[in-house]
Amino acid sequence: MTPAHLHLLLNHVPTIGFSLGLGLFVASLLAKSEDLKRASLVVFFLIALVAIPAYLTGNAANFMLQDEPAVSQDVVAAHQDAAMLALVPMEITGLLAWFALWRFRRWHLLALLVLSVLTIGLMARAATLGGEVRHPEILAEGTVASAPEWPRAAAAGAAFVLDNPWVWPISEIFHFVGLCLLFGIVLLVNLRMLGVVTGVALADVNRLLPWAMLGLVINVVTGMLFFLASPDQYTQNTTFAWKIGAMLLGGLSLLYPTMVNENSGMKPAAYAAITRAVGATSICLWVVVIFLGRFLPYFGSE
Amino acid sequence: MGSVLVQLEQTGLATWIRESGVLYAYPLILFLHTLGLSTLVGLNSAIDIRLLGFGASIPLQSLEKTFRVMWAGLALNAATGLLLFIADATRHISNPAFSVKLACVALAVVVLVRIRRQVFRKNGNGKLLAAASLTCWLVALSAGRLMAYINEFIY
Repeated sequence: MTPAHLHLLLNHVPTIGFSLGLGLFVASLLAKSEDLKRASLVVFFLIALVAIPAYLTGNAANFMLQDEPAVSQDVVAAHQDAAMLALVPMEITGLLAWFALWRFRRWHLLALLVLSVLTIGLMARAATLGGEVRHPEILAEGTVASAPEWPRAAAAGAAFVLDNPWVWPISEIFHFVGLCLLFGIVLLVNLRMLGVVTGVALADVNRLLPWAMLGLVINVVTGMLFFLASPDQYTQNTTFAWKIGAMLLGGLSLLYPTMVNENSGMKPAAYAAITRAVGATSICLWVVVIFLGRFLPYFGSE
Repeated sequence: MGSVLVQLEQTGLATWIRESGVLYAYPLILFLHTLGLSTLVGLNSAIDIRLLGFGASIPLQSLEKTFRVMWAGLALNAATGLLLFIADATRHISNPAFSVKLACVALAVVVLVRIRRQVFRKNGNGKLLAAASLTCWLVALSAGRLMAYINEFIY
């Protein structure tokens, strides 16, 4: 399986998944169901995570198609710009969903509703343009010709990095700042989950988690800048694929403290065992992410 | 001084780190250096954030255990840093970003020791120390990152 296969596997997930999330979310508001609401928030967060490899593998697919005469590079570029334009509000929605799970505020409701509807609209447009890459029979007259009127998000991001020589080094610094924030807070929370740090309630340590989330956001943004500027360096490197995989699982582990606590109805022994296991796994995942990130330039390219 | 550094650079170990090309030489040392820094700087940042008033319900005493982990990170980075230094000793010594980085790391460690003595042990106000700590680490990280670019610029 190549990343191009993965793109075909993943490319319907953002549109369908977010529609499902929105449906659950609206249903939870109508039914005034707390459980359903939390379920929809989890769906938003998960789909926002999956949307990252859905975007990245698109560049891998593009790499394989670049010499294909039947594929219009204009359509591909329009699809990519549309995908980036949809990815940004999708990640913001996923982030907000995580915050709503961590500590719910009433304004989250309206913001999530507006953002998710906007995201689905933009993602549907990206999906339609994506369909036209391989299905010229559905290419409506003028669809792509009208695309340049939309913000060229991916191209603009790449140009921002390539035209300004200071962006890459500054982004590297921020990537390390984000790494320290994320790893430090997660390490502290996980040391508490493992029982190494004692004398404090897990709920109190969890109050620092938004700082870890901030670190993750900084690193997704700066990482995306690197990727936009030099996509082939990453899509043609298997170490990068594993790094993203480990990062997504690490991101998933950030959901655990927002969803499970000692009052979740689990037996105390089971809760303690699961919490320790999640804490240990989470530390390992982030160490693997750092390891693969460091080895990326040395290993995994043809 | 210069000739000592040249000799250091030409030792078997330094040459092996720099030129062997095997994954368990330079890349592994670099990874361990990153692991050490994210442990030390990360946990120290968590303490700084707490001292600045976030997560105020976390008792400072409960964070005492993290000092052992941070010192382990510092020891790992002193060792891996030394290896990375001897591999390119003359280049590093002539790189101004390297001196800035070392000075900031030293300062940050001094600040961390004072945080433990004055805030953890004597309940002093830690806000100023926390801000100083975050600043030192930010400059140290930035200088460390920029070393590669300044090297390219000089050579």
